[in-house]
Amino acid sequence: MAMDMEGMDDIIQDFIVESSESLDSLEQKFLELEKSPGDVDLLNEVFRSIHTIKGAAGFLGFEQTVEVSHVTEDVLNRLRKGEMKLTPQIMDAILQAVDLIKVLLKIIEEKKCEEKVDTAPVVNLLSFILKGGEIPADSVDVQEGAEGTDEVKAEEGAEEKGVDDKEGENKDEDIAQPREQSPSGTPAAQDAKEEKKSATARGRDKEYSIRVDISRLDNVMNLVGELVLARNRLMRLGTKLNEWDHENEMVVQMDEAISQLNLVSTDLQLAVMKMRMQPVSKVFNRFPRMVRDLARLKKKEVELVIKGEETEVDKSVIEEIGDPLVHIIRNSIDHGLEPPDERVKQGKPRHGTITLTAYQEGRNIFITAEDDGKGIDVERVKESAVNKGLISKEEADKLTDKEACDLIFMPGFSTAREVSDISGRGVGMDVVKTNIAKINGSVIVDTRPGRGTCITFRLPLTLAIINALTVEAGGELYAIPLTTVMENIRVNKNEIKTMNERKIINIRDNVLPVVSLDDLVGRASVRSESEWMYLVIVELGDRRLGLLVDRLHGQEEIVMKSMGEYLKGTAGIAGACVTGDGKVILILDMGGLLDVVRSRYSTAGNLALK
Amino acid sequence: MDIEKEYDSKEVLQMVTFNLGNEEYSVDILKVQEIIRLMEITRVPNAADFIDGVINLRGKVIAVMDLRKRFGMALADDSSEARIIVVDLDGLTIGLKVDAVSEVLRLPAEKVDPAPSLSGKSDSDYIQGIGKLDDRLIILLNVERLLSEHEKETLNRVADPAA
Repeated sequence: MAMDMEGMDDIIQDFIVESSESLDSLEQKFLELEKSPGDVDLLNEVFRSIHTIKGAAGFLGFEQTVEVSHVTEDVLNRLRKGEMKLTPQIMDAILQAVDLIKVLLKIIEEKKCEEKVDTAPVVNLLSFILKGGEIPADSVDVQEGAEGTDEVKAEEGAEEKGVDDKEGENKDEDIAQPREQSPSGTPAAQDAKEEKKSATARGRDKEYSIRVDISRLDNVMNLVGELVLARNRLMRLGTKLNEWDHENEMVVQMDEAISQLNLVSTDLQLAVMKMRMQPVSKVFNRFPRMVRDLARLKKKEVELVIKGEETEVDKSVIEEIGDPLVHIIRNSIDHGLEPPDERVKQGKPRHGTITLTAYQEGRNIFITAEDDGKGIDVERVKESAVNKGLISKEEADKLTDKEACDLIFMPGFSTAREVSDISGRGVGMDVVKTNIAKINGSVIVDTRPGRGTCITFRLPLTLAIINALTVEAGGELYAIPLTTVMENIRVNKNEIKTMNERKIINIRDNVLPVVSLDDLVGRASVRSESEWMYLVIVELGDRRLGLLVDRLHGQEEIVMKSMGEYLKGTAGIAGACVTGDGKVILILDMGGLLDVVRSRYSTAGNLALK
Repeated sequence: MDIEKEYDSKEVLQMVTFNLGNEEYSVDILKVQEIIRLMEITRVPNAADFIDGVINLRGKVIAVMDLRKRFGMALADDSSEARIIVVDLDGLTIGLKVDAVSEVLRLPAEKVDPAPSLSGKSDSDYIQGIGKLDDRLIILLNVERLLSEHEKETLNRVADPAA
């Protein structure tokens, strides 16, 4: 095909973006359909979406996409006219067709032209359905279902034509029909009305929203960050000026101007942050399909309840929470929820429920995934951890239930006796923790035996601006992301004991290892021989640790900046930020710093920090 | 067109020259983004020892390399004339701390000799050549090499933490 024209690429790109978006929302609708198979409105909606994709693909000459969407559309057309009943098998076939269209779109996106993909199995299966063929109830595999239907294909063309004509007729009639007729009797009447509605809606979308390259938004975000810093500096100067001469008319006016700037820039900052916000439904939407497929595969009955999907989070956060949630939901279905019969025996409803909730609380977003399965078996977790050599038997006995639950986040941990294609390789929960930690979030596990498990992510609203505790050590200032800080305590020098030449402290009956920050950053201690010092308790995954600092400076909102390619990856340093007076402060990466300590201890022949 | 051709045939290098101790060095002016006064440098723990730290360049955080330390020279006693030459290498911005910046020099290419290899090793890879101008000897630095060699060293160190 002649796709080498310049403008064509743009058209194709638009086609791909629009079609992919509409396919994503389609999936959602299909699953709703499965719950209420008779919903004609929904059927009409999905029919139209597929029809639109078919039309656009036809215009661009992507024949295979047309072929697949055409036959899908035919099946849907039958369904919406009530000529066929929606069974799970038909739904499987339709979903496969949707997947196939996605694959085709992907190829088009990469190659800018269509490439031969074997569409025959799906097309044949759907044609078979069209012919009114019964699919064996447990045939999830397309290949099987399609094999016997090769001969059907020949008649397919004629049949489709018939359907198309019928559709045309219907539309003509419908316009003349009164509207109050029952929707189930004349689905097409509804159809025509809806079509008008959605056409105007689409028109409005075009007028009021534009697509912007994310890098441009990032650039604006950066510039606003700069502006905020400049404002902070100006504000400090203003305060100084005020102290120096607060009677001067010029100073008063300057003060006013600065506070005006303060207001505007705060609003601007918020507005730009909002530009990058997206509803979590963007992530949540892919789960109904996944849950359905997994539940069918595992022969479990699962209902997915989604709440608060309109909650908005920064785009970068959205991108990071997808994978962790996938792992958690997989775990819930695979390990958490019991098979239907067992559930009934325990007096629970046959179908298990997984509830995904998102809500905002202050400057944090909380996302919880809760199931009503059997909960985490703490004893088995301990046993597995000991068997896998992650902890010793003695250590396991000392763990509280809560601490034991946190073991599931250790790399290599798995309770599964055998590895299934869903879970059991022992990487899942480790990924969850690291991904969430990467975006300065934390994971909380709450489980009740026999009642279920609730896993909560606490996430920052945005990544660009973080809350940090600034501390002083060795005469230098450092910022610690507040998400890792548990508490700050003033301790007496005598409270810090040593064990194996390592410092430890007993805090409310918990013994924590202690390290000096000035030691960590390679500075001689300048701490005066004072009795009291400050201990910052930081939490890193399953470890807690006390960090000795000379002074606490306070909590500050900082704009995180990379230190550039050259210093990226410096051990223990997550980045840098610029303070109001233009100074650079380094942001500590506690995980990295601990690794530094650990390697130092081990080379010194000492026990590694646990 | 004609003028350009003339430039080609007898190429003239434009170099920013600076001092380290008694030696005179220079870098290609096209690599230099700007020259700034010495400002407060925030030390970065665990970074290479010739990295003085990071500075705030109008909101952008960039690393500063002390060229004296990089070349194994003693530290300067007097930093009153010290400058940071900010070089930009395909988006990688880094500051080079030098004793003093003297001038922009137009150096005909034919006056540049290849660097004399005394040690036989490729130690002096980052020296592009020696420019002779009257009685001055100006060392032409290849900034890319200066940085990439350091990266190699860092990699080696990461691979062998005991070293």
